[in-house]
Amino acid sequence: MVPFILKDNADNIINNLADALDAGLAVLDKDLTILWANRMLSAMLNLQYDPVGRKCREVYSCECQDSRHCSVLQALSTGKKVCHEIQLVTEKGERKYIKNITTPIRDEKNNVTHLFKLSLDSTQQEEKVHRLSLLRKLAELMEGTLQIDRLLYLILTCVTAGPALGFNRARLFLVEKERNIIYGKMAVGPSSLEEANKIWREIADKYESLEDLAKASEDTYRYDTPLHMATRLMAFPLTDEKEIIVLCVKSKKTILERNAFSNPNIDKKFINDIDANEFVCVPLVVKDKAIGVICADNVYNRKPITDEQVELLSIFANRAALAISNAEAYRKLGKKNRQLKETREKLIRSERLAVIGNMAAYIAHEIRNPLVTIGGFARILLREYADYKKVKQNTEVIIEEVNRLEKILANIMDFSKPIETVKTMIQINELLENTCSLMEPYLKSVHIQLDKKFNSTISKIIADQTQLKQVFLNLIKNAAESMPQGGKLTIETMMEDECIQIDITDTGEGMSPEVMQNLFVPFFTTKVDGTGVGLAVSQKIIDDHNGFIKIKSVVKEGTTFSIFLPVKKDMA
Amino acid sequence: MKTILVVEDDKNQLLLYEQELSMEGYNIITARDGLEAIKKVKEHLPDLIVMDITMPKMSGIEAMGKILSEHKNIPVIINTAYTSYKDDFMSWSADAYIIKSSDMKELKDKIKELI
Repeated sequence: MVPFILKDNADNIINNLADALDAGLAVLDKDLTILWANRMLSAMLNLQYDPVGRKCREVYSCECQDSRHCSVLQALSTGKKVCHEIQLVTEKGERKYIKNITTPIRDEKNNVTHLFKLSLDSTQQEEKVHRLSLLRKLAELMEGTLQIDRLLYLILTCVTAGPALGFNRARLFLVEKERNIIYGKMAVGPSSLEEANKIWREIADKYESLEDLAKASEDTYRYDTPLHMATRLMAFPLTDEKEIIVLCVKSKKTILERNAFSNPNIDKKFINDIDANEFVCVPLVVKDKAIGVICADNVYNRKPITDEQVELLSIFANRAALAISNAEAYRKLGKKNRQLKETREKLIRSERLAVIGNMAAYIAHEIRNPLVTIGGFARILLREYADYKKVKQNTEVIIEEVNRLEKILANIMDFSKPIETVKTMIQINELLENTCSLMEPYLKSVHIQLDKKFNSTISKIIADQTQLKQVFLNLIKNAAESMPQGGKLTIETMMEDECIQIDITDTGEGMSPEVMQNLFVPFFTTKVDGTGVGLAVSQKIIDDHNGFIKIKSVVKEGTTFSIFLPVKKDMA
Repeated sequence: MKTILVVEDDKNQLLLYEQELSMEGYNIITARDGLEAIKKVKEHLPDLIVMDITMPKMSGIEAMGKILSEHKNIPVIINTAYTSYKDDFMSWSADAYIIKSSDMKELKDKIKELI
């Protein structure tokens, strides 16, 4: 190997060379005993003893107890180079990743006589992969967060959390187009190094993973920290391109400032506000537009910001920007939704006012008429009290009108009082039969032929018998009144999906679309002596039974009222 | 003797107007709805009409329009429980618009003024 140098010297040189390398080296014999190792190997594996003379498995603390998975044996049997990775935990509790490459050494006859093992510390690389995967998970979490303040806090938590990006402090600035400024929105970070350590210890105790922390972030953000309050006071016009934050927005590029205190180009007030000599500003870019800036520093532990941190922060900022713009779109949608809701409520209010208006007009008209009559006849009585015949006749009119007033009041009370409900298991056909028998003499007297088509297979339902009877009576009475010249009234029951359908059809005058539209409006009536509450009350009752009413009407041909009452399977 | 047509769907109220206005010395004829009113105008050519508005078959305003298109000179007094019809320009062709009251002085005064 080294023919020009004495053997002792050669050993020395090789050992010195091997110790100078940033890698662990070892030579093993075919029994996997270590014949030689450099010093770096002991340091890398945290060995407290000399590895020479010991077995490979013992020194490298391999987890591959099964010899089939042993990389060294594989190299020995196949004669090829084999890679293998191990994980160690140091005394300080830090995780370490070691990559081992085993290469067979052959003699002149090409037989494998020894094995050469090279160990490299891949901890940094592994951690980077780990961080990237963590950031990816957090980004997914971010994208699922639509509440903007919560999202922003989550973003800043990720920037400052040890296992993620691990900055000491992070501030978030957002662009506000309307005012053409960028302003401080939120900040995360302790106000001293001690506090920083305390916070992270507490967090580590409390939350198992960063995801748990992120989920809880809604409740943990504090708006009263000096950092948050100072950040909220920061705002820069977007026209002022000398400001580093504005420059970051305009250029859409990451700015890493290593020595702000002695950089004459940076505004002194900004340095004062930001209070850090070294910091990094990363733009939040969506669709080629910067919507904000994240500014992070390591002001407490004074660790230089690494290129890797900057790179990860930039990757993270892209995802964060997307999540912010999504949340913003969602917020706008929510605002539109609220406006819609308000408009709807206004409409309902005005509809209610219209009902009250209808009611007032109805009451005014209905009460004024009998009052005029009562008052008028009372005046005649006063004037002509001696005319016995007239007194009797007029007093009778007065009593009649007072009865009418009482009936009007009862109707109004009926409509406005809550209906008391007593629900029992009932058979609709029986109830209809019962109602029809009440109405039959009347229908006969007005020349209406009654046709009952009851389907005997319809289910029983839970309902208030008295209330439904009132509905049927109302509808039958309406139907009859729409046929002053007589006609045919058909009452039919059937099952329709999960509902009982009751059709009440007349061959009467039918209704115009205008009348149909106001049909259920309280106090709307087309009848001379109608009160306009019958259908309104009927609808209220059917509503209370979770049912609905459908109407089909053709002028001069007739009308069908269809009542649908749901059958609850578990109750039937 | 002057003849007044009272159009009113409420039978008791009609009775009241009959009694009160007869006392004033008028000949009273009655109608219970707009259609009947048109018929009675043709038959009796009254000197004045007292017209209710909300009535079955044909409203007072519609009936008044039809009557006035043929008999421009018959004065019409609208006598209603509603104040809202005052806003309906159709009601403006009436000679007077009175809100019903048990004290019939205003109605009687208007009748005296118009015939």
